[in-house]
Amino acid sequence: MLKVHNLSKNYGTRKVLRDINFIVNPGEVIGLVGENGAGKSTLLQILATLQKPTNGSLSLYERNFEDKKKLRKQIGFVPQEIALWDEFTVEENMVFFEKLAWTNRTKTQLKQLCLDMKLNRWKDPVKSLSGGMKRKLNIAISLIHDPDLLLLDEPTVGIDLKSRKEIGNYLKRLAKDEGKIIVYTSHDMDEIISLCDRIVCIGEDPFYKNLLEEAGKSIIPV
Amino acid sequence: MKAILQTRFIHLKKHWGSLLFWLLFPIIATLTIMGLTNSLQQDSKVPVGIVVEETTPMALDLVDSIKQTPIIRVEQLSEDEALTQLEQHQLDSVFIIREGYEEQIKKGSRNRLIKSYRSDLSFAYSPIAEMVMSYVQQDTGRTKAVLTIQELSEQYANTGGNWTWEEIVDKSKAVEAEENLLQTSFTFLNAQTEEDANRFVLFNPWGVWAIFSILSTFMVMDWIIRERRKSLSPRFFFMRIALKSYLLRNAMLYLLLFIIIDIVTIAVFFKSLGEAVTLVLIFAVLSFRLTVLMGAFLLAIWINKLPVYYGFSFVLTLLIAIISGAILPTEGLISRYPWLQLGNPLAPFLSKEIGYEWNILFVILIAIWFVRKEKRNVKGA
Ligand SMILES: Nc1ncnc2c1ncn2[C@@H]1O[C@H](COP(=O)(O)OP(=O)(O)OP(=O)(O)O)[C@@H](O)[C@H]1O
Ligand SMILES: [Mg+2]
Repeated sequence: MLKVHNLSKNYGTRKVLRDINFIVNPGEVIGLVGENGAGKSTLLQILATLQKPTNGSLSLYERNFEDKKKLRKQIGFVPQEIALWDEFTVEENMVFFEKLAWTNRTKTQLKQLCLDMKLNRWKDPVKSLSGGMKRKLNIAISLIHDPDLLLLDEPTVGIDLKSRKEIGNYLKRLAKDEGKIIVYTSHDMDEIISLCDRIVCIGEDPFYKNLLEEAGKSIIPV
Repeated sequence: MKAILQTRFIHLKKHWGSLLFWLLFPIIATLTIMGLTNSLQQDSKVPVGIVVEETTPMALDLVDSIKQTPIIRVEQLSEDEALTQLEQHQLDSVFIIREGYEEQIKKGSRNRLIKSYRSDLSFAYSPIAEMVMSYVQQDTGRTKAVLTIQELSEQYANTGGNWTWEEIVDKSKAVEAEENLLQTSFTFLNAQTEEDANRFVLFNPWGVWAIFSILSTFMVMDWIIRERRKSLSPRFFFMRIALKSYLLRNAMLYLLLFIIIDIVTIAVFFKSLGEAVTLVLIFAVLSFRLTVLMGAFLLAIWINKLPVYYGFSFVLTLLIAIISGAILPTEGLISRYPWLQLGNPLAPFLSKEIGYEWNILFVILIAIWFVRKEKRNVKGA
């Protein structure tokens, strides 16, 4: 269970997030939407312990966010920028990050993780992969240590519909079958509508809120 | 550490060629330069022909003395050959130790002991002739002493025993050696004495090696910048080994690798250059290695862009080479600004001392970097 209580974040005098409250249950996929600069990435980074909130408190399965070291073992973070070794193959990337990860995985397990996401170019260098493949590998690496909370910043930006669906289906399965908590941002409303159980709208602008309510989605009041 | 080794191995698979090149570069470059400067030194020696018409100990002694003179290269040959080569300007000058050299000297005669030739292009004849004559002078001088002593002992027959010529000469040599009464070494204008040559980095294999090592260490340590790339840094927050720890442990791995290469270098220089292996040398090399590696580490964690890093590496190497006098003689500059030498990380190494000041400073800087909290600002979007 992820609890966010009275969270706010200022950059200097600039208030980016204000009094955000929500609770996410295991097995839920939560979408973060809002216009550019609304604070989606900021919220995601606070959830990832990479930034400190100005005010408020957070906890994951009753573990307070002050306890960063332990908490991070439970968090998988998929950065918006693709974070891979370009010169390595898919296999080498997976093995490299497995060696430094909290949990040990066999090569078969690592390969299976990729196949689950329909990424089958195991021996190919990352350089030769399409954008969609890179995005898939970018997610797979963040899942090596089997985190309870998976945070993704625009994981499907700039890739074709097929790859987007494959990633979406995988994330949904991860939540439903394994009880993971998934929080992710996207500017693609169709994707948000089809994938997310509930949605957090960030920012003052009611545009997204209205749009999603029309589509019958459940909006988390913040 | 096993994980570090395994992940390092994945990286090294991708560019083991350049790693090997830079690891071996200082050894190979040093051996090449030493080979070049040696042949250069040989070429710049004045070729002198010596013809020996008699093989008495005194004549051979004289040849030995001439041969041991720096700056000249002696070729011993027959008179005909010598003159032919002189005509062809292969020799600067020719000196003939005439038949009866020892006898003449023992008789106290100083005439026509040595016959000399010079070519019309000869440029070193006079100093060399003077030097040869000084050696002859030693022999005649001793003989003169002998004759005097013999005369004296004849006059004062009661001083006991008749000394032979040899006994007296030996005694005189012994006294000379003991008292070191007179030691002259000839210097020619613009020529460096042996001592100077050793101080000049280019004639000192470890000096040359040190400068190439600085460059190669910087080149090898560029992995820090390549692996510290911003896009990857968020990953390390969610791993067992944090980025700083990853960098530091890998640097230690590289330190180990460099030390192995350094030990090989010491062995190679001993074998092929006859460089003495002493405990001080070993520790000086290790301490120097530590300094350079930590220097490269600090530079690489401070600079974010590879081209800038390479630029700094070259400039720093060049700067150190210059203040160490490897490129231009800098004695004047150093004596005017002694602090230049004080700040030179190469200085203790060049004087075969174990430098530790830079190491202490670098360890402190790295420790500060390691414990300092980084602003965890990951640019997300
Ligand atoms: N480190 C920072 N220092 C100061 N201001 C920042 C910092 N990071 C972000 N901001 C500002 O905070 C606001 C929210 O940024 P954020 O990146 O969270 O927006 P976003 O919703 O992810 O936007 P996008 O849709 O473009 O990804 C922006 O106006 C941004 O300029
Ligand atoms: Mg963003």
